Amino acid sequence: MNAFVLAETENGARELCAGARQIADEVTLFTFGNAVTGVADKCLHLQIPEDAIADDAYPSVNESFDASGAKVVLAEPTVRVTSLAGRLAAHANTAAVPGVNALKDGVATSVYFGGTGVKESKPETDVSVYLISAGTFDGTQATGTDTVEEVEFKAPEKLAVKKGTAALPKSDIDLASADKIVACGRGFAKEEDLQLARDFASKIGAEVACSRPLSEGVNWFPREAYVGVSGAVVKPDVYFAVGISGQMQHMVGCNDSGTVIAINSDKNAPIFKQCDVGIVGDLKDVLPALTKAL
Amino acid sequence: MNILVACKIVPDDQDITVASDGSLDSSRAHEIVSQYDLNAIEAAAQLKEANEGSTLKAISVGPKKADDSKTKKDILSRGVDELYLMADDSLADLDSRATATELAKLVNKAGDWDVIIVGDGSADDYAKQTGVQLACALDVPYVAGATNLSFQEGNLEIQRNLESESEDIELAVPAVVSVSPEIAEPRIAGMRDILKAGKKPQNVEAAEEKPEESIETVSIKAPKQADRKQEVFDASDGEGLDKFVSAVKEVL
Ligand SMILES: Cc1cc2nc3c(=O)[nH]c(=O)nc-3n(C[C@H](O)[C@H](O)[C@H](O)COP(=O)(O)OP(=O)(O)OC[C@H]3O[C@@H](n4cnc5c(N)ncnc54)[C@H](O)[C@@H]3O)c2cc1C
Repeated sequence: MNAFVLAETENGARELCAGARQIADEVTLFTFGNAVTGVADKCLHLQIPEDAIADDAYPSVNESFDASGAKVVLAEPTVRVTSLAGRLAAHANTAAVPGVNALKDGVATSVYFGGTGVKESKPETDVSVYLISAGTFDGTQATGTDTVEEVEFKAPEKLAVKKGTAALPKSDIDLASADKIVACGRGFAKEEDLQLARDFASKIGAEVACSRPLSEGVNWFPREAYVGVSGAVVKPDVYFAVGISGQMQHMVGCNDSGTVIAINSDKNAPIFKQCDVGIVGDLKDVLPALTKAL
Repeated sequence: MNILVACKIVPDDQDITVASDGSLDSSRAHEIVSQYDLNAIEAAAQLKEANEGSTLKAISVGPKKADDSKTKKDILSRGVDELYLMADDSLADLDSRATATELAKLVNKAGDWDVIIVGDGSADDYAKQTGVQLACALDVPYVAGATNLSFQEGNLEIQRNLESESEDIELAVPAVVSVSPEIAEPRIAGMRDILKAGKKPQNVEAAEEKPEESIETVSIKAPKQADRKQEVFDASDGEGLDKFVSAVKEVL
């Protein structure tokens, strides 16, 4: 059997090709990022024209997929590859299985309702398309040739025009290797109150993180800083959840922490059922008290 | 311009309980508009308000219980003029392709349209696939993840964030656009909006036939939960804060 991998980052290509190798004899990688060698039997590389968006590369992707004869597609869940995977799924008369974090005998495991459940599902169609979360497969296991073939960009009849692009600011947040994390939620009413969390974090040598609304709702934090099902999954020794209610979508990102400590003014907040140590209190009183005492 | 917004009605995950066999029970859950679809409705309403003479209709496909009077009113109280809902138990838990096939039928009933706005992803599967499948079903362009959306000289101007860069995009209509939640904070509807919502047209219908599904659900179970000590203090009891500080010291 042949597998078709759709990826844009080198890491994504490595992991997905390693996974594809476990289920298929032949692996074709399609990428519009840098060509990656040594991971697939063939790397198909497409250069997106300056004024086009990668999402509109679907005629080229679908044609390459047809030519590959593959029945399984593993796709990296970036914004653009997620679009292309959807176009490819529709082309192959199927639906993509989203959020896959394990794949065995065609049955995919995905998070359901932000972690409230775990769903197992299986395509019933001739072609299976899976969007695979980072870390599902071990990229170091990938093997392959140095063959790279250039693929031509075939524009769809109606397409978007890219007018400009700019690099997003790089953040120096390193949640993956932090052994202590102080995470801030909507309980922080004003941006300047975050200083209370920053002072406490610097006192104990912790990284500062947040819930999704503080990054995407009000932009107080970069995207790399939010923890949860759609953000960072972290495993520090100690996780402080400050002014965070404890919704599943957030908690799946920190459930594997050693100790969870909660500060919340609402005694009924769900976080208190998911913490080791907690205090019902105003973060404006509790954080300075901690900073002073430690 | 004529705007459509697609939204999904889902059980509130706060009300989902775990049955003794580990399965999830949402039978007693309230029906709500999926969280990020509220941001999509708001973005659509702002686009309508910024372009005089525009219309905004909502389309939705779901099980029978999605035909919930409070939820329908909620949608119509957020700047939406009219609702098209297909509610039928044969439409429960559809995959993205089947959902798009049914939504496309509603699109064809809703009259002329220039743009269909969809949310980032629904609360249940968070697949981010329905918008692109709908674009395929209607054979129109699709752009995902808009953080800003406006209509200028007959074209959509879109800004979006990818993983490490942003893009400015111009897109001719008709098109489907998915929006990132940060595009707009959902409004809090006032009493007048809610009263007015009750008088707006609602077109509710059953499914014509059960759509063909591509994905079979094998199982849905609750995940294993970490056992936590749940030692909770109260700052309003005299010594609560001190005891908490000592407990934290011990952990560190
Ligand atoms: C598909 C999908 C994906 C999502 N992915 C993520 C994700 O990856 N990560 C994520 O975080 N969220 C995610 N969410 C959002 C998630 O559902 C919640 O909305 C979010 O986590 C809530 O953030 P919060 O706890 O900061 O805010 P809230 O739920 O508003 O909680 C704020 C808390 O602060 C407390 N508080 C208020 N004032 C004070 C005070 N003075 N002192 C102490 N406590 C105070 C309140 O009691 C409350 O409990 C997702 C949602 C969806 C639908």
